[in-house]
Amino acid sequence: MSKEELFAKIKDAVIEMDDETVESLCNEAIAENFDATEVIREGLIKGMDRVGELYATGEYFLPEVLTASFALNAGVDILKPYMKKEVSTKPVKIVIGVVEGDTHDIGKNLVKIMCESAGFEVIDLGRDVPINEFVDVAEKENADFILMSTLMTTTMPGMKAVVDELTARGIRDKYKVMIGGGPISQKFCDEIGADAYTVDAASCVKKIKEIVGI
Amino acid sequence: MNSKERIKTIVEGRKPDRPPVICPGGMMNMITTELLEKGGFAFNEVHTDPEKMAALSEFAYRNKCFENVGVPFCMTAEVEALGAGVDMGCNNREPRVVGYPLTSLEEWEKVPCFDVSKGRFQVIKEAINILSNRLSDVPVIGNVTGPVSAATSLIDPSVFYVGLRKKGQMAHALLNHVTNEMLKYIELMIDAGADIIMIADPSATGEILGPKFFEEFAVPYINRMVDCIRRKGKISIVHICGQMTPVLDKANAITADILSFDAIVAMNDIRKAMGNRAIMGNVSTYAIEDAEADRIIELTRNAVKQGFDVISPACGLGMSSPLCNIAAMIDALEE
Repeated sequence: MSKEELFAKIKDAVIEMDDETVESLCNEAIAENFDATEVIREGLIKGMDRVGELYATGEYFLPEVLTASFALNAGVDILKPYMKKEVSTKPVKIVIGVVEGDTHDIGKNLVKIMCESAGFEVIDLGRDVPINEFVDVAEKENADFILMSTLMTTTMPGMKAVVDELTARGIRDKYKVMIGGGPISQKFCDEIGADAYTVDAASCVKKIKEIVGI
Repeated sequence: MNSKERIKTIVEGRKPDRPPVICPGGMMNMITTELLEKGGFAFNEVHTDPEKMAALSEFAYRNKCFENVGVPFCMTAEVEALGAGVDMGCNNREPRVVGYPLTSLEEWEKVPCFDVSKGRFQVIKEAINILSNRLSDVPVIGNVTGPVSAATSLIDPSVFYVGLRKKGQMAHALLNHVTNEMLKYIELMIDAGADIIMIADPSATGEILGPKFFEEFAVPYINRMVDCIRRKGKISIVHICGQMTPVLDKANAITADILSFDAIVAMNDIRKAMGNRAIMGNVSTYAIEDAEADRIIELTRNAVKQGFDVISPACGLGMSSPLCNIAAMIDALEE
């Protein structure tokens, strides 16, 4: 099979959410000595991009996106050991989590998946994350973005607390703070002084690219 | 007419003098910080004390927060009994699930059965008993977590949603077990004096599941709960959050007496898919929290004009909603 054919099959297997086929095709790519980074970029991520489009048009729903991302990750696990260490520019680094008091993390997970498939490095703090942890981890990891989500109006003040904490530590300008989730609006984003609000995972990735200029 | 009679009239398919203004409790939170302060309640104490639980619900009613009473004030008692880890919250936060006992669907058999004679089940039972004796003209609503939301309180929702595609039979087994247990809880609340049971299943929203999985994994189990309520001669309300418009025709297969949707679902679309079924809704909770009382009056009247049979907030109230805005919903209909 030619490289192009194999990449196309890998892409289709991600779209079909078929983790076993993704695995066997990725093993085949390794056996053929194809460049692992290229397999990820031209096969797996192209597939995930299409899944994102299908989600946006209402043909796929969350279970499909999650299952496809499992297939994608199964492929990445196989390819990772063969990736050449590239002297590349520092990747965009993101710290993400659901603010303290809220355990709904489906939306956050979706943003994480989309960000990872866009090539960003994502540090996932999970759900119910204490305010200081966002700031501490962002500092420790030397991140570029802090992404927060919540589904509950009761936990919205936590987002402001993170922005205030950054200001109090004198490091507000080091990070772009982005927020999202059911009750969040552009108005709230402006009120608490966050950098951006986006309505869904796809527009979040778009916004990040816009901010970093890629 | 009192609100009990109004609801009964609606369920029988007739028109009451005006729509009742209802907020069931449970997931559809009716408790606010201002209310707790006014009554001197500590929110974290009411979940484990039947007297306080009943007193808070009655206090909300007396303060014109809706024409019903309803308990409990969270969605955790029933899933805690199935093994979920629960944080009991504080004065401005309701109890919530913080730990899942299952790591994969294969483990579904590890989920225990209920013992409704124990723990918070008895608190809720006694609270309902107190309320139904004390307020005989007021509908008492008992709240239960719907099947998908209960299942996703026991296992990480992402793992559950992926399992729907790959391990459908096991997802069904978990939902079936959870539903069987919830029926015991529903019966307990009805035997204690509940007039209405509200099933809240936010995690079952078509927005997440899509039409196919909504039909296969949510509707049949919700309907088993509805059947149980009907067998016991009581009224059922089903509330599902989020954007339900793409699955409204599937949701029409839910046999509940009254259906309730979020504010993003337009009444036109509901009527197109569901005809003249009894629909509850849907005054924006963001407006109730942030707008002026005049605006709430306007929104409430608009909901009546659109044809909502029961007037309610579109979802649970934010804890910082002002009491005057909540009372405005009744004011709007009471002249």
